[in-house]
Amino acid sequence: MAQAAKFYFEDVVLHGILETPGVTITEAHVALYAGLTRDEPLEPGAVPEILPLCLTTGLGWRVPQPPLAVLAFMGFEWHALLPVRVGDTIFSRSRTATKRSMREGGVVIEEREVINQRGEIVHKGKFTFLVAKRPT
Amino acid sequence: MRVILTVPMTDARRFFDDIQVGEEYESPGRTVTETDIVIFAGLSGDYNILHTDAEFMKSSLFGERIAHGLLGLAIQAGLFTRATQPYATLAFVGLRWKFKGPIKIGDTIRVRAKVTAKKETSKGDRGVVTVERTVLNQRDEVVQEGETDLMVQRRPGA
Repeated sequence: MAQAAKFYFEDVVLHGILETPGVTITEAHVALYAGLTRDEPLEPGAVPEILPLCLTTGLGWRVPQPPLAVLAFMGFEWHALLPVRVGDTIFSRSRTATKRSMREGGVVIEEREVINQRGEIVHKGKFTFLVAKRPT
Repeated sequence: MRVILTVPMTDARRFFDDIQVGEEYESPGRTVTETDIVIFAGLSGDYNILHTDAEFMKSSLFGERIAHGLLGLAIQAGLFTRATQPYATLAFVGLRWKFKGPIKIGDTIRVRAKVTAKKETSKGDRGVVTVERTVLNQRDEVVQEGETDLMVQRRPGA
């Protein structure tokens, strides 16, 4: 049985850039998110800052590239630079900043920016993943 | 554990001036269910097999599906609001976060938080409050930990 294609540590291109399609953040996203987590917007029309981060992770699955063979999401840092409002359309741009081979897999550090419909960088951060090596 | 419960009579929100370095809070627990994970996959679009394929995960390191790391982060953000009086938060500034262990279906998580720093900003009406947070499961194992920076309003007239 053929396995779905995956993007392994060996396939990751240092400084490679990946842009996702966009998503318009609606009241429905905020209501569903707030109901699920009880992390509420600070005022009507505002978007809780963790929500765009969650949405960009899903957008990463819609690029024309197989999903990264992530063994573990180790950690990240995140900066909210500008407010995101209901009705904004965001996408993310990622760049591989570091690639370090380990005995079991390799560490990949990805820089990610979240950009709105006006081209403004609203959020940005760095993600650290442990990625599987191609099975031999 | 020391739980701070100050209840100002007028505005229930706590301002930058009211929050003290060293304050600690602990939230109630919340059991993470399969439903939480399915809804989060639908909301975020993150259908990674780690979270959605029960059969594949039987043979994985974890032995079963695990919650999205960001779902754990979002749930602790909600739990934090149940751990203390609300801050007069103007904005979330940023965070530094580590995922230490899996959250599995049926695990009950809670957040323990401590104010570690306060920094005034160039604008006199607000300051940054840094809160260290530890997410624990029912066995008191640390599953996530990190620090968040919040922009909090100063008490008007302070």
